[in-house]
Amino acid sequence: MKSNKTLINLLNSVLPVLLALLIGAILILAIGENPFEAYGIMFGKSLFTLRGLTNTLHAAGPLLLTGAAIAITFRAGLFNMGVEGQLLIGGFMAGLVGAYLHISNPFLHKAVAFAVGAAAGVLFALIPALLRAYFRVDEMVVTLTLNYVMMTILEYLSSGPFRDQGAGYVTTPTIDQSAMFTRFGSTRLTPFFILALLVFGILWYLNAKTEFGYKIEAIGKNPEFSEATGLRVRRSIIMLILVSGAISGFAGAGHMMSQEYKYTLSFSGVTGLGWDGMLVSLLGSHSPLGIVISSIFYSALKTGADNINMYTSIPKEIVAVIQGIIILFLSIRFLNERFGLLEKLSKKKGEKNGPAL
Amino acid sequence: MDLLSRILYDMVYHTTPILLCVLGGLFAYKAGVLNIALEGMMLAGSFIAVFVALQTQNTFLIYLSALLVCAVIGLIFAYLAVNKKGNVIIIGLAINMLVPAIASFILQFMGVPNLTAKWVNPVNFRFDIPLIKDIPYLGPILSGHPLGTYIGLIMIFVASVVLYKTRFGIYTRVIGESPNAATSLGIQANKYATWAILIGALCSAVAGLNLSFERLGIFTNGMTAGRGFIAIAAIYCGKGKPVQSALYALIFGLARSLAINLSVFAGSISALFDIIPYLLMIAILAVNSAYEIRNFRMRTYW
Repeated sequence: MKSNKTLINLLNSVLPVLLALLIGAILILAIGENPFEAYGIMFGKSLFTLRGLTNTLHAAGPLLLTGAAIAITFRAGLFNMGVEGQLLIGGFMAGLVGAYLHISNPFLHKAVAFAVGAAAGVLFALIPALLRAYFRVDEMVVTLTLNYVMMTILEYLSSGPFRDQGAGYVTTPTIDQSAMFTRFGSTRLTPFFILALLVFGILWYLNAKTEFGYKIEAIGKNPEFSEATGLRVRRSIIMLILVSGAISGFAGAGHMMSQEYKYTLSFSGVTGLGWDGMLVSLLGSHSPLGIVISSIFYSALKTGADNINMYTSIPKEIVAVIQGIIILFLSIRFLNERFGLLEKLSKKKGEKNGPAL
Repeated sequence: MDLLSRILYDMVYHTTPILLCVLGGLFAYKAGVLNIALEGMMLAGSFIAVFVALQTQNTFLIYLSALLVCAVIGLIFAYLAVNKKGNVIIIGLAINMLVPAIASFILQFMGVPNLTAKWVNPVNFRFDIPLIKDIPYLGPILSGHPLGTYIGLIMIFVASVVLYKTRFGIYTRVIGESPNAATSLGIQANKYATWAILIGALCSAVAGLNLSFERLGIFTNGMTAGRGFIAIAAIYCGKGKPVQSALYALIFGLARSLAINLSVFAGSISALFDIIPYLLMIAILAVNSAYEIRNFRMRTYW
């Protein structure tokens, strides 16, 4: 029965992806291109060459973290939609530390930048956390709104006070060499990926093996009951949103030091790493292994998009379209335990086997 | 026009798209469905309007196609949310992501950064209202707006009547307050919820039309800039009551108008004026909630 349930969960994640790829294929056909060729390039170049695979893993680092940041709040029945904004401020602050604080020790420089980035994420997450815990304001509306606020503020800061005057476009100065992660050989992969995996592992441990994780689960299932049994729900909610903010800020700092090296207006990409994390978390049904797999899958989709742009005339926005459709389909459960297709199939099998037994 | 009347005129002008979204969206709110896809629907409306305007100069066709496309999106939302019982927040986010993605896919394919319908002259879409025009002070503020503004202002009245005086409105509110009671009375909850969502979609279409076509004749991606979310906040703040929610929409319009009109005096920092409506909205939500929980003291964590 349990394996049946996992299979249904798996299918509920795989079916939306397949359907979305199908619709994407129709779109590609509609503009007169060959979808097989497009998908072949997209996944072939991003998963089945060493270069592509390392690029994919490199891009999966921040997604792993933003996915985790969203998943841990989801589990407690909270919606931190502000991951995008928290990631941006984390990345921006890490960029300032990298560019303006000249620490010659590379290890220390990165550590300070990570600390400042994570702290910025925490401080920014403090607003929705306190409003939610003390005034019962819907954290979803607040975090969604604050994303716009943060984007506007950072746009002002990076085009005004902190603009790199030498550059021909809006950007902050490039960070020092000592704050940049060194790449492994000729690949794009940096130690940040390992760091991201490490943080992810710690989170998983906290969630699955400690009291804190148990509390989160309990709050998600029934906050009133948790409070009645003596859990400090208010404090846990604040903690949780702050942890989520810290991970997001950390992810932003890592993205700054391993990929971008400066804050531009397209720092977090077309759809935004925070929103990508949303998809990763949903696709992985908020489970640790699921998030690892889906972050790599989604990262492959994104790396593949660059190749599509290079080798075909299909706009790379096709990936954003596919992403949107995946999320749309993920909102509903195609199969469930009671009326699932699988159940019916196994039932038929059972009937067939029945008389023999 | 002196500064004050310009600020007030701009207030009405900038309130329009938010107002339309608020008045359309509050039906779904009252029916218990949180429709955060207003933003995406509005963007779809503004895209289709200018896209069709590039092919034809027939205003009727432009309106019709924007309304149709948004109705289709509304039906998709309603099907997934109401019939399939999906997570409305995720559906809404998906639509909010999908619409700009499709728009930029098409823009990329056409090889243009934005759409410009050159024949559109915004001045031609502004109408004066015969009697109101001549009222001193009030006339120049309320008159001389595009059609969308008048639809919005009339909708305040229409929404109040529909919501409180018709069977449709009463059933919609019953569904939101107690779905089980509604079902036990034989009300087809799904049907009314679907219509409520559809009204929101159509109003968003008009809002989008107003934003891109009537005002500028230009579509740029992301031009809705969070107005759909402001509308949701206004609905929240006004608890879905048409007149109150409309007043909150007006506050946001005023903040936007101040941001634009005062930027002349403030210089480059004026970019930060744009965050005022958002912060204001969070403050209003917080004060509202704080006031509410004072009357709601239970032994609970909030």
